[in-house]
Amino acid sequence: MELPQKYSEQELVWLLKQRNEQAYSYLYDHYSGALFSVILCVVKEEELAADVLQEVFIKIWRQISLYDTTKGRLYTWMLNVARNTSIDAIRSKGVKNSRQNQELTENVYEQAGSAEMKTDAIGLRKLVHTLKDEWKILIELSYFEGYTQDEMAKMLNIPLGTVKTRLRSGLAALSKIIKK
Amino acid sequence: MNTQEYIESGIIETYVLGMTDAIESAELEQYCREYPDIKLAVTAFEATLEQQALLNPINPPPAIKAQLFESLKDEFVHPVFMTSPTKQSAKVFNIQPFLKYIAAASIILLVISGAMNLYLYTKLSNSSAQYQAILVEKTSLQANNQLIQAKALDLFNSMQMMTDPAMLKVSMPGMPGKEKNYATIFWDTKSKDVYILPNKLPQPTLGKQYQLWAMVDGKPVDAGMIGDCAGLCKMKNIPNATMFAVTLEKMGGSSIPTMTEMYLAGKVS
Repeated sequence: MELPQKYSEQELVWLLKQRNEQAYSYLYDHYSGALFSVILCVVKEEELAADVLQEVFIKIWRQISLYDTTKGRLYTWMLNVARNTSIDAIRSKGVKNSRQNQELTENVYEQAGSAEMKTDAIGLRKLVHTLKDEWKILIELSYFEGYTQDEMAKMLNIPLGTVKTRLRSGLAALSKIIKK
Repeated sequence: MNTQEYIESGIIETYVLGMTDAIESAELEQYCREYPDIKLAVTAFEATLEQQALLNPINPPPAIKAQLFESLKDEFVHPVFMTSPTKQSAKVFNIQPFLKYIAAASIILLVISGAMNLYLYTKLSNSSAQYQAILVEKTSLQANNQLIQAKALDLFNSMQMMTDPAMLKVSMPGMPGKEKNYATIFWDTKSKDVYILPNKLPQPTLGKQYQLWAMVDGKPVDAGMIGDCAGLCKMKNIPNATMFAVTLEKMGGSSIPTMTEMYLAGKVS
């Protein structure tokens, strides 16, 4: 399969909506690394991350018609698909783990140990960890664990307004770091 | 509103990273439509985020791609009759020079056509003028032809009359001093009609006309004016005469001949 050097984002989206395999292959080659990094930040476990990545690309393929070019870039949309799918995955894993914890086997520990990665050193999360604590915790909870602002306010016992302000300030600071 | 303050608040990052609630998202999307600055800031952060992610990829296990394509293999549409935008744009670039040639050819053809029109129009005008001239010429030729036919008929009729055995011929030689002049009278003995053949008469001066006289019982009687006629000129009916004479009179004729202006005279034999 011959791939063109590069597609413009418009061409890529158009071709994907036409169910074009070449464009999809290009999309995978171009973005799978970036999205895998995001997924790993959230799910931490490489095997699960691989499953999630596959699920994310299937969603991207099947839901491309839902992507609205006027609302933002393709990557932003895919990033949100990846993040949401990852959060769903850790939540359902959490349910499974609690069941598995009842019948722990050495095997499970071994698998977990080998697959667990030092995700603190990965991508966006690495940058988040350079932020001050009051920002870091909110970004951690919301971005990587999927808690809503309301839930965080209750969990941390701080007013919702403060949660909003701190989260925004933290992300503004993060954005400055990224831009450097 | 202070867009700069809004941009710097971190709301844009929160939105792009998908952490705003529905109300905040709707508000920001509204602002994006109203304030180009805000829309720009959103796009800029999105681009930064994408760049940062693309620069720090973690490559997934290679087997995933194969698995993914295996599970989606029935969902791909193979572009047999479908053209991709890249192909289309390639086509566009191919078409453009082609269109250029078409355009150039059209202009050349237009110029040629214009020149042809001018040339043909000039030619048509010339032909039309020539046709008109020929038409006029034809009409005048036709008129001439009719005139000549009429004259020929007159001559024929005159000849018939002259050779009629009933026709009496009276020769009128020139008077002394006018010997060069000469005319002939043809007098129908049955009908008594008089005809004159002005064989040789000088062109009358302006306002003058030749008049024929018949001598009846020794007195001159007006026998008619000699007009412009082909062959024989029909004159008046003269039942009886001993002599004919021609004088030059004023236009319309006189009642008494001017004897000094007598040109011709001939006795009836």
